[in-house]
Amino acid sequence: MTTAGQRLSSVLSHLNPLSSGRSKLLQKNPDDIVITYAARTPLTKAKKGGLKDTPIDDLLIALLTIVREQSKLDPNLVEDVCLGNVLAPGQGYMARASVLAAGYPVTAAASVANRFCSSGLLAVQQIANQIIAGSIEVGIAVGAESMSTCPDNGAPVLSTKITTHSIASQNLQPMGQTSENVAGDFGISREKMDQFAATSFQRAEKSQKEGWSKDEIVPITVQVKDPKTGVVEEKVIDRDDGIRYGTTAESLGKIRAAFPQWSPSQTTGGNASQITDGAAAILLMKRSKAEEIGQPILGKFCGATIVGLEPRIMGIGPSYAIPKILSKTGLTIADVDVIEINEAFASMGVYCVEKLGLDPEKVNPRGGAIAFGHPLGCTGARQIVTALSELRRQDKRIAVTSMCVGTGMGMAGVFVSEH
Amino acid sequence: MEFRTTGFNGYAVKYSPYFDNRLAVAASANYGLVGNGRLFVLGLDASGIHAEKVYETSDSVYDLAWAESSETQVILAGGDGSIKLFDIAAPGNNPVAQWQEHNREVYAVAYNLVTKDSFVSSSWDGTVKVWSPIRSQSMLTLPTHSCTYSAAFAPRSASIVSCVSSDSHLRIYDLRTPASATNHLVHLIPAHGHAPVPGGPQRPSYEPAEILTHDWNKYRDTVIATAGVDQLIRTFDIRNPKGGPVAILRGHNFAVRKIAWSPHLSDVLISGSYDMTARVWTDGSTSATPSRPITLGPEAWGDEYGRFNAHTEFVTGVDWCLFGTEGWVATTAWDERVCVWDVRTVMGQNRTRFHTP
Repeated sequence: MTTAGQRLSSVLSHLNPLSSGRSKLLQKNPDDIVITYAARTPLTKAKKGGLKDTPIDDLLIALLTIVREQSKLDPNLVEDVCLGNVLAPGQGYMARASVLAAGYPVTAAASVANRFCSSGLLAVQQIANQIIAGSIEVGIAVGAESMSTCPDNGAPVLSTKITTHSIASQNLQPMGQTSENVAGDFGISREKMDQFAATSFQRAEKSQKEGWSKDEIVPITVQVKDPKTGVVEEKVIDRDDGIRYGTTAESLGKIRAAFPQWSPSQTTGGNASQITDGAAAILLMKRSKAEEIGQPILGKFCGATIVGLEPRIMGIGPSYAIPKILSKTGLTIADVDVIEINEAFASMGVYCVEKLGLDPEKVNPRGGAIAFGHPLGCTGARQIVTALSELRRQDKRIAVTSMCVGTGMGMAGVFVSEH
Repeated sequence: MEFRTTGFNGYAVKYSPYFDNRLAVAASANYGLVGNGRLFVLGLDASGIHAEKVYETSDSVYDLAWAESSETQVILAGGDGSIKLFDIAAPGNNPVAQWQEHNREVYAVAYNLVTKDSFVSSSWDGTVKVWSPIRSQSMLTLPTHSCTYSAAFAPRSASIVSCVSSDSHLRIYDLRTPASATNHLVHLIPAHGHAPVPGGPQRPSYEPAEILTHDWNKYRDTVIATAGVDQLIRTFDIRNPKGGPVAILRGHNFAVRKIAWSPHLSDVLISGSYDMTARVWTDGSTSATPSRPITLGPEAWGDEYGRFNAHTEFVTGVDWCLFGTEGWVATTAWDERVCVWDVRTVMGQNRTRFHTP
C-alpha cells in the first residue's frame, strides 16, 4: 500500500518546498487532462487573405477532418466537440452539422462556447471539465472564427436599464475606446505601444522565416475567389499572411491614430490586433485514456480561470487573471517559461507586462495578434497551440495563456508541455 | 526532564487530560519511513520519566489522542491506514479495538471534547473520518481530496470539525448542516490568502503551501492557528472566513510541524519545527498595540517569546500540561527524546505572564 519512498518524498517536500508548485504541476497522474493533438489553420487577413471566401462551417469541417485524420483517433471515441466562436449566426446548427460533415459519427455531440475573445480557451475548459467530472472521456475543443463572412457589428441595442447603468453601460463602448481608456488611465505612451507592436511583428517574422510556426500550422485546402476575375480556384493555404516584414517602432510611429475621437488617441492600425480568419483545435482526454488507446501525449491542461473587471478598461483583464490562475496552480511567475497574452491592443499588452513584472522575452515569443491577427473565437485555442509548440522548441515546460475579454473580463489557463 | 525512546523517532506527544503526571508518545522506527511503531505511556515522578506501558505496532505511528471518555484509553494513528485503541487497564499488549478504513497513512486523531463520545481522524488518502469507539465502522467520511495532515473537533462544539491539508486550505465542517453536495463543508479558507480581486485591498501575496498542523484556541472559540511548510504560523477567526489571517507569526527557518495553544494564556502558543526548535509565541491579541513591521495587509505580526534548542532533530510533537504550575510542556523529536520543560525558562521577562502559585 505504501512505500518508504512516498513517505520520504513527503518529508522532503516539507523541507524543500521552494519548487513545490512547479514540481507538483509537472507530476504525471492518471487523471491528468492531457492534450494528444493540437493544431491550427493559418491565420489570414479578413476580406483579403486566403480564407476570405471560406464560411465558418467549411473552415470548421476542414480542420475537424484534419484532426480526425492526423490524430489517428477512432472517431467513434469522440463524445463531444465544443466550438469556441463569437460571431457566427446559427452557431448551434453550424457546430453540430459541421462535426457530422467532417466524418464523425452521429454519436459525437457538439456545443458552442462563447465568451468573446476567450471562447477558444473556454471551449478547452468546457471539454476538460466534462472529462474531469466523468461526463465524457474524449472530446475536441475548437476555436474558429470567420471574420470575413461574419462581421463584428459591436453591441446590439440594449435595455435602457443597461444604457443608464453606470457600469453596465460601459459595455456599449467599442473595443478601440477601451484601448484608449487603458492608455489614458495608466499613462501608456504611444512610443511604448509602437515598440511593443514592433516586437510582435519582428518575432512573428523570425518565427515564420525560421519555420517555427510550421510546427503549429496544418495547411488547408479551400476555395478562393479572385477579386478581379471572379474565378473560383482551389488553393492550399499554409502560412499566416498578416506579418509585415521589416516593421519597426519608427515605421509604426508614422501611422495615424485610428480613434481620433477618443483621447489619448494612441491606438493605430499598426499597434492593434488585425481582423483575421482562422481556427485551432485541441484533442483532450485523461492520461489514463490516452495511454489505454495509445495516443501520444503532447501536454496537459492544468486549469483555467476567469475574472471580471470594469468593461471600460477590459484590456487589463490578464493582469488579474494571470495572478489568479498562478495562485490556484501554486506557481510563481518565475516558474512559467512561456506567457501567451493576446495582443488585442498594444496598450493592454504594455500594461500587463509592466504591471505583472513579466520578463518580456517570455511574453509572446512568436509574436501575437498584432502581427498575425485575432480571429476572436479562435485565439484562445490558437494560443495553446502556439505555446505548446514554443515550449517544444525551447525545451521548456510551463506556459500560461491569457487574454482580455470584451465586456470586461480576463481569462487565463496553465498548460504543461510533455514533449 | 527527559526520556529516551531509543530506536524510535518521536512523532507525537500528548499529556493525559486526567493526570498531571502521565504522558503518551507515538514514535516510529527509521524516522517513520519503514518499520515498526511504538506507543509509550509515560509516568512522571520526582526521579524522572518512566515507561509505564509500551505497545508495538507493525507499521509506523504518527499521532495519538487520549480518550476523553476513559482515563486509560489512547487512540493511535497508523501508517498502514489503521486506527488502534489501547487500554492501559486491559491485560496484554494488543489493542482493544481497531479500525481499518483509511487507504493511506493516518496522520492525525483527535477526540470530541464536548460529547466525549467520538473522535476524528485524517489521512493522506484525502479524507477525514468521524468515529465512535463503540462502532466498528466510521460514522462519516468527509472528502478533502488532498493529503490531510491534521483534523480536530472544535473545543466548544460537538459538531464542528476542522482540518488542514496539503492544498493550503483550512476546512471547517458543521455536521449539523445537511449532507448535501458540500459534505457539511461550511468554510474553505485558503491559508495563503485569497487571490487579489480587481479593486480589492492590496495585500502581500503568499504562495500556497502544505499546512501540516492546526489548533483551536482554548479561550477564543472561533480562533484557529495553522502552520506548515511556508514556515509561518497564522491565526484565523472563522467568524470572518474571508478576512484572511488575523495574525502571522514569523521566525521558524523550516516547516512548522506542530502547534498547540496554551491552556492558560489565550494569546500564547507553542510550535515545533523541522528547524529543530520549539518556540513560544504570542499572537499579539492581548496587546493594545500589536506589532506591524510591514504595513501592507491587515494582519498583526506576533512575537516570539523564546525558543527551546535542546532537540537535535526535527521537533514533531508539542503539548501543554493542563495541571499544576502554568507553563510546563512536553516535546518530542526525531532525536529519540521526549523533553518535559518549563517554557518560562526560555521566556526572559515575559515569564511573569504565566501565573505562579
